[in-house]
Formats: sequence, C-alpha cells, structure tokens
Amino acid sequence: MSEKTVSNKVSISKLFVYALLVIASFLSIFPLYWMFVMATNHNSAINSVPPAFIPGSELVTNFTNVINTIDFWGAIGNSLIVSVVATLGVLFLCSLAGFAFAKFEFKGKNFLFFAILITMMIPPQLGLIPQYIIISKLDWLNDLKAIIIPGLIDAFGIFWMRQYISSNVPNELVDAAKVDGCSNFRIYWNIAVPVIIPAFATLAIIKFMYIWNDFLWPLIVLREESSFTIQVALRGLIDNYVRDNGMILSGTFWATVPLIIVFLLLNRLFIQSLTEGAVKS
Amino acid sequence: MAKTETTLKTAKRSSLSERTKEAISGYIYISPFFVLFAIFGLFPIIFSFYLGFQKWNGLGEMEFVGLQNFKWVLSDEIFWTSLSNTLIMWVLGTIPQLLFGIILAYALNAALIKMKSFFRVAIFMPYVTSTVAVAIVFGIMFNSQDFGLINVILGWFGVDPISWNTSWWGVKIAISTMVFWRWVGYNTIIYLAGLQAIPNELYEAAQIDGATIRQKIQYITIPMLRPIIILTVFTSTIGALQLFTEPLIYIGRSFREEGITVVLYLYREAFTNLSFGPASAAAIILFIIIIILSSINVFVANRIGR
Amino acid sequence: MMKKWLIVIVFSLVALFLAACSDDGDKASGGKSDGDTVNLDFWVFGSTGYQELVDEYMEENPNVKITINEGEMNDMHNNLFTSISAGSGAPDIAQIEVSQVEKFLQAKDQFHNLNDYGAEDVAENFLDWKWAQAQTVDGEFQIGLPTDIGPTTMFYRIDVIEAAGLPTDREELAAEIDTWEAYYEAAKKVKEETGKYMTDTPQLVYNAIRDQQDLQYFNEDDELIMEDTVKEAYDFTTKMIEEDLIGQNELWTPEWGTAMAEGTYATMPGAPGWMVANVKGNAPDASGNWDIASIPEGAGNWGGSFLTVPKESEYPQEAYDFISWLTAPEQQLRSFEIAGLFPSTPDVYENEEFLATTDEYFNGAPTAQIFAEAAKSVKTVYMGVNYAIVDTEISTALVNVAVDGADPQAEWDAAIERITSQLERQ
Repeated sequence: MSEKTVSNKVSISKLFVYALLVIASFLSIFPLYWMFVMATNHNSAINSVPPAFIPGSELVTNFTNVINTIDFWGAIGNSLIVSVVATLGVLFLCSLAGFAFAKFEFKGKNFLFFAILITMMIPPQLGLIPQYIIISKLDWLNDLKAIIIPGLIDAFGIFWMRQYISSNVPNELVDAAKVDGCSNFRIYWNIAVPVIIPAFATLAIIKFMYIWNDFLWPLIVLREESSFTIQVALRGLIDNYVRDNGMILSGTFWATVPLIIVFLLLNRLFIQSLTEGAVKS
Repeated sequence: MAKTETTLKTAKRSSLSERTKEAISGYIYISPFFVLFAIFGLFPIIFSFYLGFQKWNGLGEMEFVGLQNFKWVLSDEIFWTSLSNTLIMWVLGTIPQLLFGIILAYALNAALIKMKSFFRVAIFMPYVTSTVAVAIVFGIMFNSQDFGLINVILGWFGVDPISWNTSWWGVKIAISTMVFWRWVGYNTIIYLAGLQAIPNELYEAAQIDGATIRQKIQYITIPMLRPIIILTVFTSTIGALQLFTEPLIYIGRSFREEGITVVLYLYREAFTNLSFGPASAAAIILFIIIIILSSINVFVANRIGR
Repeated sequence: MMKKWLIVIVFSLVALFLAACSDDGDKASGGKSDGDTVNLDFWVFGSTGYQELVDEYMEENPNVKITINEGEMNDMHNNLFTSISAGSGAPDIAQIEVSQVEKFLQAKDQFHNLNDYGAEDVAENFLDWKWAQAQTVDGEFQIGLPTDIGPTTMFYRIDVIEAAGLPTDREELAAEIDTWEAYYEAAKKVKEETGKYMTDTPQLVYNAIRDQQDLQYFNEDDELIMEDTVKEAYDFTTKMIEEDLIGQNELWTPEWGTAMAEGTYATMPGAPGWMVANVKGNAPDASGNWDIASIPEGAGNWGGSFLTVPKESEYPQEAYDFISWLTAPEQQLRSFEIAGLFPSTPDVYENEEFLATTDEYFNGAPTAQIFAEAAKSVKTVYMGVNYAIVDTEISTALVNVAVDGADPQAEWDAAIERITSQLERQ
C-alpha cells in the first residue's frame, strides 16, 4: 500500500513537472508561432475580435509589402557584413591578446589585464554622445565601419580567451616550440589556434548574436536606409504612418527565422556557448 | 675555449633578446584593444564628463555652465519618473524572471523527464529572437484596442480591455513582459548548469537522512546555486538599468512618461532635444547609479557568501 | 615565417574590411559620382508619394540617380540636425516641415542658399507667405523651395454622421457645424445617438483650433505667449474630453491608425490635404465611408514642407534642378493626385482640370475645390525656433487629460513648466 502511494505521489509530481514544462514551452513558442500567423494574414484579420489564430493566405502579399517598405535584403546583408566581420575581427584580436596574456611575460601584464577587466564594468551609455561625435568627425555616419570598428573592442573576449588558453594550451608545448626557434606568432598560430577552436565557437556565437541584435548604437550612427542593419530597418516598419500589422510581423518574422534555424541546427553549441560565457565571467 | 665563450655569449644575448622579443610581441598583440579602447571608449568617457558641464546644442560654441546641467536633470520630474520607471520595471521584469528560471531549471533537472532536450530548446528559443523583434511582436499583442491579443484573452475571462500603452501600470507590465519572455529561458539554462554541477551524492545522503524535497531545496540546492543566483541578479540588474529598445519600440517617440527609462531619457535629451549637456549629465548620473547598485550587489553577495 | 603568416592574416582582415566598407560606401554615402552619374540622397517623411515622380525625373535625366530615404518626421528632422551639426551624414536634399524651418534657418550656413542657383526666378510661382517662411528676414537667403501647404478641413464618417441624425451632405454639414460651439453640440448628439466619439484623438481638435490662430506659441521676439493664444483651444479640447466626447488615442500611434478603419468616431477635424494618404493607407477598405467638409470658423494651416539642399551636398546645382522641377506647378499637381499634397503654387488653383478633381474614396468629394477654398483663408503664422518642443509638451498634456483623467489646469501648468525648462536648455 505504501509503495502504491509513493508511486502515486511520484507520478503526480511528475505530471506536475510535465505540465509546467509544457506550459513554459508553449508560452515560449507561441509568440513566434503567432508572428508567423500574423505574417500570413491580412491586416483586417489581425485587427478583429478574436484575431486570427491560424495561418492565412497573405504570406506573399505581406512580404512583398515589406520589401516595398524597407530594403529588407539590403538590411540583412548589412547585418551579415557587420556581424561576420566584427566577429572574425574579435576572434583574431581577442585570441591574440588572450594568448599574450596567458603565455607571454612582459612588464605591466597583470595591471593591463586588470585594466581590461575594469572596462567591462563601464556601462556603454556613458560615452554614447561623444562616441557619436567621434564617428561623425571621422565621417563614418551611415557607414558600416561605425559598427564594426568599435565592435572590435571586446574585453570579455580577451578575458575568455586568456582563461581558455591558460588552461588548455600546455606550457610545455609553447616552450618546446620556443626552443625549436618558432616565432611568437607561429606559436600562436600553429599551437594555440588549433587547440582553442571550441573557445572560438563560443565567442563567435556570443559576439555574432550581440552585434546582430544590437539596436541603440546602429540607431544612432546609421541614418540612411542603405546602411541600416536589420534591427534598425525593422523599426522602419512600425514607424510607417500607415499601420499594416500583417506587413510589420511579416518583416519581423522573416528577419527572425534565419537565426532560429541556425539555432535549431546547432542548439547544443548555442545554449552551451551563450550560457557558459555568462557563468565563466 | 674562446669559441665556447662566444657561443655562450651569443646564446645569452639571443635569450635576452628572446625575452624582449616576447615582451614586444605581447605588447603588439594586446595593443589593438588599447588603441581602439582609447579612441572609442576612454576618450568618449572623459569627454562625457567634460560635456556634462557645458551647454551645447551640437551647433555653435560650447559654454561652460558649471553644475547647471546636473541641476536641470536632478530637478527634472521626468528624470525621476524615468528612474522610478526603470527601477519598477527592473523589479517587475527581473524577479519573476529569476524565480521562474529556478523553477523551470528544477523541473528540467528532475530525473525521468523525457524530451528534455526539446524542452530545453523550446524554453531557450526566445533568447535567440532579437530585442527589436520581441518588442514589435509584444507591442502588437499589447495593442490597447479591443482586438489586441492580450485584451482578447482577458476578455475571455470577463476583463475589460486595458489601454496598455498609456496607463501607468499597463506600459510597465507590457515592457516587463517583453524582458521576461526573452530572458527567462536564458536564466533557466544557466540555473540548470548550476544544478547539474551539484553532486548527486549530496542528495543521496540527504535522502538517507530522510530529508523532504523542500528541505533538499532549502539546504542543498539554494546554497549550492548561490553564486549563480548572485551572478544572474547582477547581470539582469545591469541589463534592466540599461533598458532602452523595448520602451522605444513600444511607446515610440512620444517618450510618454509611463514608459520612459533613464537611457531613453538620455537618448531623448541628446538626439531629440539636442541638449547634449544635460544628456551627458544624465549619463554620468546613470553611471553613478550603476556603480552604487553594483557595489550593493557585491557587498550583499559577499555577505551571503560568508 | 611569422611575418608571412602575419601578412596573410592582416591582408585577409583588411580585405574583409574593404569589402565591407566599400560595399557600404557605394550605397550609403550619397553625392558620389561614379562616372557620369550624379547620386543624390533625398530624405523625406510622411506619405509623399514622391517615388513615382522621382522615377520619372530619373528617366528624363539618366545622369541623375536619386535615392529616397523615408523616415518618421521627428526622426528625420533630428537626424538632419545632428548631421549638419556634426558636419557629416546629411543628404543632398532634405524635406523640412514648416514648424521646423525656422530652426534650420538659424543654421543656414549649413545649407546652400538656393538664391545662388536661381531660386529668386521661381519665387513668383509660390504663395507669398509660404515662400517667406523659408527665407531670412532680409530675403537674402532662401533655404528651401515650398512643396505643399496644409489648409485644414474636416473629414467625416458618413455612416456615423448619418446615425447621429446629422446632415450627411458636405455643405449642409458644414453649415450645421459652422462654429466650434456647434461642433461641441454635434458631438453631444453623436454621443447620444450612436455612443461613438466625435473624434478619436484630442490632439486633432486642439490642432484644428491652434492652426486657426494668427499667433500660436511664440511672438516674433520668440517670447512664449501661449497663455493668450492657444489656451482657449486647450480648454475647449479638455472640456470635450471631460464630457467624454473625444476618444483617447494619440496621434500617429498604431491605435490611432487602426481606428481609422473601424469607424469608431465621426469626424477628423483640422485634416489637411496630406492627411488624405494617411487615411487611405490606414483604412484601405473604407472607401466611400469618408467625406470632406469645411472646418468650423475657417481654415488654418497644418504642416506642409520645404525642400532644402544641405551644404554637404557636392551637387547643389543638380539637387536644385531636381527640387525646382519637383516643386514646379505641374509636379505639385501630380503630387496632389498621388498623395493629396496640396500645391503651394496658386496658379494651379485656377486650373479647371485641377478644380474638377474628385475623390471616390471620399464619396466623390471635389477635394481640390474644398482644399483650395480652405487655402484662401490661410494666413502667415510665425512659428518660432522651438515650436516642436512646445507642441510635443502640449500633446502630452492633452493625452494625460484624456487617458488618466488628469486635471486640465494642472496638466497645462506642468506642461508650461516642462516647456520653460526645455527652452532654457536650448
């Protein structure tokens, strides 16, 4: 009898856990599903009581409207350019700096590393206005450089790379290479880089997501449609004097889908990277 | 003999130069960060402090006005509204987020749950959606009219439509929901990682001692998770203080008082009203607030850590 | 060995940058001429429908390539202002709204003087007052060429007006609602008969009366005089709010837009020509439900713009040629047909063809005639440099009264306080 109650108890609590997870998953996915529903419905179907809950037939029309309203592909292209270039740049610069901090001896090393850590504490808004002025003096307004070059500053990346390199690149290997007369850069390139590929993957995902989703800074320095990233361009959809929710959500949906697909394909790596980065720091 | 000496010498010299070489390489490898940071990080910060004491509309000459800008900002009711809004939305968005994060992580960590990876992916998915997209979708859901999705759902329960975008709590709830939705999964996964790091033996030992589930949570889970909880409180606090995208997209450029945040206030002063002086003053004040809250955070964390 | 690798890396990075930047440079920074083509960036706001005309112009002038960049009105002006103050990022041609033109005139050294390119010769094409708004007091400096003006009328929903027992004929309705007092009475009738609002946003009523005043926020010495000029409009509006005759939507919000399609209110007072495109866009299925009557107590002017050439443009002559073409009477006529932008060239008003324009969407109303009639009573208003700041705060006050049921006088005082503090910072 007691065994039975225990198993009952277990199944009830199990049921409860399942219910919780199902509801949470539903609430997590529903807005994305609804975005798709709206993207395929006419504005009037959205603005009615009750609104549409199943996909409609306006998929193509809505997206055509998006393309007529904003330069969707151009903005996706710009976003890809800034995200990819900034990510590659950060991978290179941060691993190089991290390598130097982990394996080289030079004066003031600890102080400089500490200084880098301190910069992580400063909220980015503090220098926002002068940053804008600098960018305009450099004549970089409406230029993707304005996103890419400041995007190369990544204190976390250096920290992350240093930690990874210190614990994963054996000192013996580095010393052996030195004895063999390898140049410092070759040691980095031939010995460190192959070992730190997993750290690259993690940093790349974090950085790419960050730049891809960034909004405030691009909003300030990109004012011309031809230079918009997708996030700034999406805002153009809701800024229109004419509200067409079907069109708005169509643009938003199609701008979200690529990242979702990549996430679904690489979900393990994604989840691990994005959370590991947070925990380790 | 002489020969050996010279080889020794060259060896010594080359090893010396090896070391300098290494140092030089080191400096070169880390220099990009410092150069870029000097231009796009340090200089702007110093300049912000300078601008905070000037009157400047972007055109024309700057004029030194002493503490005038700070006086303006601090006597501006909207600034205080923006600060209290930010703090309210921090509480509304952060606390449920962390609470649900822990509960969901606990559920995901429970033994014998099938389709774990499906749930994990589903719950994490919102985080992959961009903030702008989240704000747009939820902005339409929180439409104030009868046909807004949330109003329709409330209607099923007999609740009258709420004018979300203009009411004091409506705006805050809508914006906090956006923050909550995007971040809860992220925190869940972080907590999950923390839970999985707790050795099973602890629970087993407790089981033998006859501990209840609640006792296990109270005496094993929570203490072991403490560093991670502190971390998430810390990051979500800083994130909440910098809230910008959601309110901008949702309330638009009316910058209505119900939803204005400190960063939005700063943005409005600088890029809409072109008062760069007060805007810089607001940035400095925000910086000080973040420093204070972070110190409190660290202090409390240290206290608890003991 | 190390050098080799370093060079490879550096080169590939540089190549990536260049790829990124040049790709962007071609598209983004305007005013560059590749070969013989002159690229002109053109910033516009609102529903201008200029694309069609631009395409036409490019066809006729294959050496000119014009890229329209459409933005939200306040955003566009702010971007323009921050760009000209930074000395970079401004377009070749920028549309500036009438309430902002004074402010940009103060920064006139950041613009090309259109008189240098022959603007004086076309001055007589335009309404005198409109022309004068875009020049310095001495007339030496012309910052922009006039596009449209915004003589105000009253749009109304035929179905709601009918249900309220009011005359649906546009002339009879105008006769019935010939004063604001009558408008107020009609509002009560609408409320009683249909339960609907007279209009859905307080700002429209306020704006309509505001635009009828000869002086609005500032006098010509830039002193704040709103207590004597627009307070009455504010009081009238808040009275209607308090009696629940006006809805709570805020102009330009999604709620405001979607309400147009719903027929939840009876009138849209103070609507100028450029509003036509907004209504049609937001309520594409409401054709035939709307009509246009004249506004109580005579038309004012709301909005209308100028086209300017910022100093940064390397092709001021080409830019000028284009804007003088775009603002010429024939093209203004086209803009009216396309987007309802009412011409600022008075010759057009006598044009038979123009006057014969009717609009099926507005129940076949002779739109040109109605707006032309309204245009006659429009007077010059001095708006002042900081018009937009004041107007935003008053809007906030009105919405607060409407939404939160706040005390009108307290909101007014608070708005004045905010305005004063904002003005001090300028």
